[in-house]
Amino acid sequence: MARIQIKGLTKRYVEGAMAAIHDLNLEIADNRFVTLLGPSGCGKTTTLRLIAGFVTPDAGTIAVDGVVLSSADAVVPPERRGMGMVFQNYAVWPHKTVFENIAFGLEARRTPSSEIAGRVARMLELVGLAGFERRLPSELSGGQQQRVALARSLVVEPGILLLDEPLSNLDAKLRERMRSELKELQRRTGVTFVYVTHDQAEALALSDEIAVIEGGVLQQFGPPRQVYARPANRGVADFMGQINFLPTRILAVSGETARVVVDGGLELAVHLPAGAPAELATGSEVDLAVRPENVRLAESGPHERPGALTGRIADVTFLGNANEYVATVAGGTRLRVQTHPSQQFAVGDSVTVEFDPTECTIFKPAGR
Amino acid sequence: MAGAAAALVVLVVLPLASLFVSSVRGEGGFSFEHFQRVAERRLYYQALINSLVLGAWTGLFSLLIGLPLAWAVARTNTPGQGFLKLTASLSYLTPPFLTAIAYVDLFGPNSGLLNKFVRDTLDLPFLVFNIFSMSGLVLVTVLHTFPFVYLLAVSALESVDASYEESAQILGAGTWRTALQITAPLVAPAVLSGTLLAFVNAIALFGSQAIIGIPGRIYTLPTRIYALFDYPPQHGLAAALSLVFVAITVLALVLQRAYLARRSYVILGGKGSRPQRIDLGRWRWAVFGFGVLVFIVAIAAPYFALITTSLVKSVGLSFFDNFTLVHYRFVLFEYDVTQRAIVNSLLLASVAATLAVLIGGIIGWIDLRTTAWGRKLLDYISLVPLGLPGIVMAVALIQFWLATPFPLYGTLLILLLAYVARYIPLGVRAANAALRQVDGSLEESARILGASWGMTVRRITFPLIRSGLLAGWVLVFVPAIQELSASILLFSSSSITVAVAVYNLYETGYVEPVAALAIINMIIIALAVWFADAFGRAAGPRPSTMQ
Repeated sequence: MARIQIKGLTKRYVEGAMAAIHDLNLEIADNRFVTLLGPSGCGKTTTLRLIAGFVTPDAGTIAVDGVVLSSADAVVPPERRGMGMVFQNYAVWPHKTVFENIAFGLEARRTPSSEIAGRVARMLELVGLAGFERRLPSELSGGQQQRVALARSLVVEPGILLLDEPLSNLDAKLRERMRSELKELQRRTGVTFVYVTHDQAEALALSDEIAVIEGGVLQQFGPPRQVYARPANRGVADFMGQINFLPTRILAVSGETARVVVDGGLELAVHLPAGAPAELATGSEVDLAVRPENVRLAESGPHERPGALTGRIADVTFLGNANEYVATVAGGTRLRVQTHPSQQFAVGDSVTVEFDPTECTIFKPAGR
Repeated sequence: MAGAAAALVVLVVLPLASLFVSSVRGEGGFSFEHFQRVAERRLYYQALINSLVLGAWTGLFSLLIGLPLAWAVARTNTPGQGFLKLTASLSYLTPPFLTAIAYVDLFGPNSGLLNKFVRDTLDLPFLVFNIFSMSGLVLVTVLHTFPFVYLLAVSALESVDASYEESAQILGAGTWRTALQITAPLVAPAVLSGTLLAFVNAIALFGSQAIIGIPGRIYTLPTRIYALFDYPPQHGLAAALSLVFVAITVLALVLQRAYLARRSYVILGGKGSRPQRIDLGRWRWAVFGFGVLVFIVAIAAPYFALITTSLVKSVGLSFFDNFTLVHYRFVLFEYDVTQRAIVNSLLLASVAATLAVLIGGIIGWIDLRTTAWGRKLLDYISLVPLGLPGIVMAVALIQFWLATPFPLYGTLLILLLAYVARYIPLGVRAANAALRQVDGSLEESARILGASWGMTVRRITFPLIRSGLLAGWVLVFVPAIQELSASILLFSSSSITVAVAVYNLYETGYVEPVAALAIINMIIIALAVWFADAFGRAAGPRPSTMQ
């Protein structure tokens, strides 16, 4: 129902200090579930509050469907943006019943009271709280309060729903359930969801697109699969989940692929990250990035391929759905590997290590 | 914003400025002659010394009474916890000048009831206690100030997380070692801070210092400043002496804040479990006995003296042959001065409480919810009156308004200004505490759902802080209905208040009507507290999600 265009958005809270958000450009399409992902203090909540109109930008603009709502000179106040927002602490008003909480936005819009009752009832049905109209928030569980907050925001049929870490106060089981409910709700209502979280698993599970933000700067914007498998830089790669970095040297570059040799002799053809910097030239030292589930282990033996990477098992952890091994390879690098639980090695076993080159990326080494 | 700032300027900044100006204005322009006289003449510096001595002893004894009671209530299985809490609250609520009058009835050197009893009936004249002495003054004052130590100590003791103490115990420390090495250092800042508050409040009390100090020739800063307004008034000297007074008060409050700031680590464990209570065994009855003793001295004895005095035809005759309600009839229905005083006090206290909370609410809201320029300054200025003893506030207001063309002196309005100015800090604190309970997101949710600023305040903010504001209202009403320290310099026969009437009647020797009026004063206070409690509960359950 609504498209958000953010251009050159900058906000610093203290004059001269590092910006909370710096020169953000983001195009959020209609009817999307978009997540702003990053560690705490990265600027993602500031961005959300800028979209809501609670914060005035220092530079840049926010437009919805082509209409500029925020700029450094003028900000349309939150109450005239027609958005919805769900807060981390739900912010369900403790002095109002469930019905009164949900009806509030309709009253603010001067909806006739005859219509309010019906819309509130339908919304309660939608979030599974029918029959709870007269309860006070103090009589509800955390998950139920969460649904009241959702219902309250959705009943006014906003074009955009902003969600600020809405699941972080729920326990793990409930969080998982609410996750799928949220996704379902977004599909059913067609509202554009802008969702803030620091939990990458949540972001991967929910989003159509993820905007990874770090240090106030947008690092990458794309579908979950792309952000996970083709991280734009070392920071994103690290933030999206466990990953190994192996010292590697580039042998040759051609187009989007590079021929590299990993310390220990293994040669691979790997994908270069988009807009790879000039440092990734022939002959330069780089790090090969590979996620634990994309590493394969095999017993070393006579059928070993020439040039294969060999290592020794240093640690084993049984995770239930997988075995996690730490293998020490050439040069002392400790490699984290996840295998099917049926594949078993003991500490001290010699193994050969193989990678799926299509799941590997190279980055310039850290701290250089 | 502008309104709140203007109110603070008129109520606090300008009067205080005129106090500074008149303290350095001599016969021939700018001079320090007033301060010089304060330093040179025994009349004045002795008052300063007496005030400090009074404050020091009062602080010490407040600590010796308040801390054990707090510990008993917060940490032990002493019986009668409710009774101990009640003792502390009643002591705090009882106007100190009433306690002083009651103790004069009991321990006046010649005619005090208990003195007569030990001298004439028991024939033990060496047990006669002269209340008109420094020890008498300390006794009467402590009964009002020990709750400051008690309240801060209880809240500190209750907020120490049990895990701090349990960690010590699991490492092998016994109950007493844990109490001394872990708990005591954690609560020490709060306890010291309470002691300093007791000091500051003790030296500011005009009523008890006039009633007990003046007959005993113990002049203190408030009574000496008061005497400077006898004809011809010496404004410059009064201003200089007032500023010396302010300096001591502010110094003590700065220390107090510093101690309180160090208290923050106690709150860290806020979510943890309550500490276990120490089983005192047989000793718990000794601790309880201590509480009963405090109750007798602080509550039972003075109220017994006042109530019996108010109900007999004349003091000294037997109670039952002598029972009468004539004094109540006199002060309520016959004597126009006391009637007027009651009406004035009710009016002043209600309006002052409303204004203090209103201004406090606006200042608190600006401070917490906006980014307006100067909001911190506004907040600081609103706390300034804490450092101004009542009589100093009166001196400042007199000097400021006499210099303007407005004939405010002697009107109800100047009393109202004094009360609002004195109690604005209470209003600000109450509003601040209430607003802090309301997370900003509760208001933001309303805004994003389309509510205007006005609708948000009306429908969300105000209902949520209402009970907090009401508590603040009572917090101002109670001291305002018994205010004497500032009123004593500001009243006229038409703007007389209950406390001033009590003091004047006492001065003229109307012992029985004074007692009746005092009891009426206490009934008004009790009604206000009861009303707040009942209304506060009716306002709905305190929602748990409000943190």
